[in-house]
Amino acid sequence: MSLSALTAMAMTLGSQAAEQAESITEAGTGLHDSLNSYLVVSGILFLLGVAAILTRKNALYVLMGVELILNAANINFVAFARFGGYGIDGQMFALFVVILAAAEAAIALAIVLRIFHDFGSIDITRTDSLRD
Amino acid sequence: MLDFMFVFFAALAILGGLVVAFHRSIVHSAFGLVGALFGVAGLYWTLGADFLGATQILLYVGGVTVLLLFAVMLTTRDTTRVSIARNAAMAIVVGYLGHLVYQAYQGVAGLIAASGHVPTDDPAPTTETIGTLFLEREGYLLPFEAISVLLLVVLVGAVTLARRGPGEEGGAGNPVRDQGSDA
Repeated sequence: MSLSALTAMAMTLGSQAAEQAESITEAGTGLHDSLNSYLVVSGILFLLGVAAILTRKNALYVLMGVELILNAANINFVAFARFGGYGIDGQMFALFVVILAAAEAAIALAIVLRIFHDFGSIDITRTDSLRD
Repeated sequence: MLDFMFVFFAALAILGGLVVAFHRSIVHSAFGLVGALFGVAGLYWTLGADFLGATQILLYVGGVTVLLLFAVMLTTRDTTRVSIARNAAMAIVVGYLGHLVYQAYQGVAGLIAASGHVPTDDPAPTTETIGTLFLEREGYLLPFEAISVLLLVVLVGAVTLARRGPGEEGGAGNPVRDQGSDA
């Protein structure tokens, strides 16, 4: 039930957004040439990341959700820079975000290993103490 | 052609995201994440960001997901099928968030459209520009150096965190807490 509800939510948003993108593209430019189509993709990715973070109990799923959200933000950086005429700065920000995300993933996975070792599971609802 | 590429990579990204969010098996989800990140790299290419797309594949598809798969193998037992726990309340939260995101995007897209900028049809290679910007004082030299220090700290920190403490070499699987010497 929950899964179907979430999927339906995503689908309605997607179709709504696809209509929007179509109405824009009817103006003559292609799909890849409209800011809205990129915004639609990044919005859907962001929502999927939030859904993954909110509904899962396994810490690794939460990490995957964070990666999805960061990528959605990155698409926005690059798309706004291209369609708003901000030059290369958007890509530079996206590059720094990618590097920071890699660093974050390394640290987070080390912490996950540590949590698994200390608690015997990586269920985030059961990790409730920071020290012995 | 570029339209086809956009649709292909966007579909790849969204399908991968769906697998990450809703699939029951965590290994499938990890591979779904690979697909999603690859799709995002393709979207960078359709946006004319060639260097960024290549970096995305090297760092994410090659690095982060391999790390993630290692963590999955090291921490997940066969029996732990962590299911999707919660329910309609989360669907409402996500739906409302989607509404907010939609509205915000509408506003910002309107601003961008009002600026009247038309992107060039034929994007140039960006690698040289990015390299120069990284090493220019007017560009991003300070963040570049800061991030190199950060990467060193992350390297040491990850090793320190994941390492087993001195007293627990033999007791695998026994959650004996150490005396805190390795914090």
